[in-house]
Amino acid sequence: MQKKLIIVIAVAIIAVAGIVAGWQLTQVPSAEARNIKVGIVAGMQTVEGQDIQRAAQLAIDEINAAGGVRVNEWNTNVDLELVLVDTVDDAAGSTPGPVTRAITDQGVDLLIGGATTAGTLNGQIPAITNRVPYIITGASFNLVTRRGSLPEDNALHIPDAEGMSYMFHYCTTISDYSTTVAHFLADSVKPTLDSTYSFDTARKLRLAILYRDDGYGRGVRDVTSSIIAEDNLPIEVVANVSYGTTATTYQSPLISVKESKPDAVYVAGFTADTAEVVKEGINDVGLNSIYIGVEICEDPQYYSLLGETGSFQILESKIATQWQGDTWYLEKVGTYVENYKAKFDGKIPGMLGADTYDAVYIAKNAIERAGTVNKADVKDALETTDMPQSLLIMENEKITFSTGTNYHEILPKTFIEQLIWLPDPGELKPHVVYPDSMPGISSFKQADFALPPDYEPGSP
Amino acid sequence: MKLTSMIPLTISSGLAQALLFGVVNGCIYILLATGLNLIFGVMKLVNFAHGELLMVGAFVAYEVTTIAGLNPYVSILVSMGAVALIGILLEKFAFRKVRGTEKLNEIFISLGLIYVFQNLATLLWVENYNIQIPSPLSGLSLPLGEVLLSYDRILAIVIVIVILIGLVLLTKKTKIGLAMRATSQKSDAAMLMGININRVYTFTFAVGAALAGAAGALYGIILPFNPAIGALPTIKAFAIIILGGLGSIPGAVIGGLLYGIAENATGYLTNGTWQDAVAFALLIIVLVIRPTGLFGEKGE
Repeated sequence: MQKKLIIVIAVAIIAVAGIVAGWQLTQVPSAEARNIKVGIVAGMQTVEGQDIQRAAQLAIDEINAAGGVRVNEWNTNVDLELVLVDTVDDAAGSTPGPVTRAITDQGVDLLIGGATTAGTLNGQIPAITNRVPYIITGASFNLVTRRGSLPEDNALHIPDAEGMSYMFHYCTTISDYSTTVAHFLADSVKPTLDSTYSFDTARKLRLAILYRDDGYGRGVRDVTSSIIAEDNLPIEVVANVSYGTTATTYQSPLISVKESKPDAVYVAGFTADTAEVVKEGINDVGLNSIYIGVEICEDPQYYSLLGETGSFQILESKIATQWQGDTWYLEKVGTYVENYKAKFDGKIPGMLGADTYDAVYIAKNAIERAGTVNKADVKDALETTDMPQSLLIMENEKITFSTGTNYHEILPKTFIEQLIWLPDPGELKPHVVYPDSMPGISSFKQADFALPPDYEPGSP
Repeated sequence: MKLTSMIPLTISSGLAQALLFGVVNGCIYILLATGLNLIFGVMKLVNFAHGELLMVGAFVAYEVTTIAGLNPYVSILVSMGAVALIGILLEKFAFRKVRGTEKLNEIFISLGLIYVFQNLATLLWVENYNIQIPSPLSGLSLPLGEVLLSYDRILAIVIVIVILIGLVLLTKKTKIGLAMRATSQKSDAAMLMGININRVYTFTFAVGAALAGAAGALYGIILPFNPAIGALPTIKAFAIIILGGLGSIPGAVIGGLLYGIAENATGYLTNGTWQDAVAFALLIIVLVIRPTGLFGEKGE
């Protein structure tokens, strides 16, 4: 009996030892384990590109400090490695070369970044061809994900549906922010005008659209008009005026805008041109109106270029990196801004960097769920992303990519800030004026929209 | 204090306003074109990098205004001096080396300098990519009848006029000016008359560069700028001196004003997109009718 018991115990010990040994054997990191190379596509001669690079570095350092990324296939955690894909000025001609080199020579596992639509449309082609997952964190024209659906005779059409399925757009689009702007005008500006000037409520708000004559500007013009019509908003577009992409002064188109007697001017431009439009409109042309800027990327230079002239003017945004308040509207945004400033010499983060920061975490999440860095598997994992919203506010408070349409786009929410000049310290600062609340943020609005002191409405 | 106000505009007053802005904007072009014309007139040198000197001038003025706290209008003088110095170095160590060889050598040096200046400026100022020189007059405008004009733009016109008067006095009333004119007419003969051609060339390039520096500082006071701003003004300046007549200072003045007016009137009457196209079409028409430009002379 005792002999039997000894044998049973011995067998049990051997079995347990075998299991432990086997388990330990499976926990030995694979010889294939290596850092995961994340290609960060950023034009380092641009402010936006530097913001993208910094934000990516911040996210990668945070992830590595917290133990890296678990890759089941390799039985270990590995670090993320930032591979800078410098597209210089992010112009159309500058992007394909660096992206190709990153894929073929540097062996990136996935790509994140891209700022301009034109640059991204060209830069994504090597990624499509080589089946490299690409989380695009700029390019507000959704063509970067939808070009597969363009007519075949369109020069931008990509007939490679599988290749296009590697594209993921984590950024707001023209449609997202034009929707916010149009509804802000209808819900907030029009009632203010009606009550201030005793306008008939049937009077439509007179909107002038002043746009860069490129794909982006024309897109804003067309999408805005469509939204106004589709949502039956009480807005009349009284002028569509363009300016050349090489223009440096805007008085002539502004005079045309003024003659249309608008209540508000929607400026579809970039940082420098939008700031100059506002300044020339007010100081030279005497068009004392409400100017709405979009796609400024929360660039601090926009605030400094405008100076006091920008007081009471409007800026559409998706992350309030210059939030004025005792507590941040999202704790995560506050932490991000503070960490970014601490790491990068007090610099204020912009919008595209915030997209990129989130995208690095999205990539980590996808790789861990995929359990591998195999590009096709990572792509599949990205398609099923389901994470809580991070820096960007999402319609359903979650980060998910649309998959049914094969477009891989998110559902972001944007908001409206009014810029107010603070004599002490002599800076322009934003205050959220629309909407009242956002998904997951019950009290979001900081102040009511107010007309500028010198404001003059359009035709009665 | 804000002197701006909403003013009733009719089509005609709108056009008048556009034309006035054309004159004002033309002033910056005039300054750039005059420097370019001076260098071409005396040295027969085509410097495509002239606009980069404007860009450097803007950044120099920005730095001395923001760091040293100088009044931006005083910074114009610093900018002129700094860019003149750069001009001297360029003439001595780049253009002089290829003088007398194929014209293409000069052209390619100037084309190469565009990228050198742009990349250097980007490296130095990428943190301040889109900036403007802070002016104490910013935001203040003067109503002129039915049009408004910012004080900064008014001052820019005055400064351009003063600089042009100074340039005329320099070329007409001084010994070095006489030497410049003699060299521009026939450099070999000037040399035989004892004129130090190298010194005249260096001085001429320095003056042309100083004018670009002044244009840059004024540009930076009025408009936002970045390291890439030099290219288009250079093309416009070339159009202006061809329009006005190569080597002619009055031609550059009239050409600059015409160009500015054409550009702004087109922007008002048609569409901002067509501004450059129509302005350059005007240039082509003038050249077809009068190949030497408005003030140019045959054989010049």
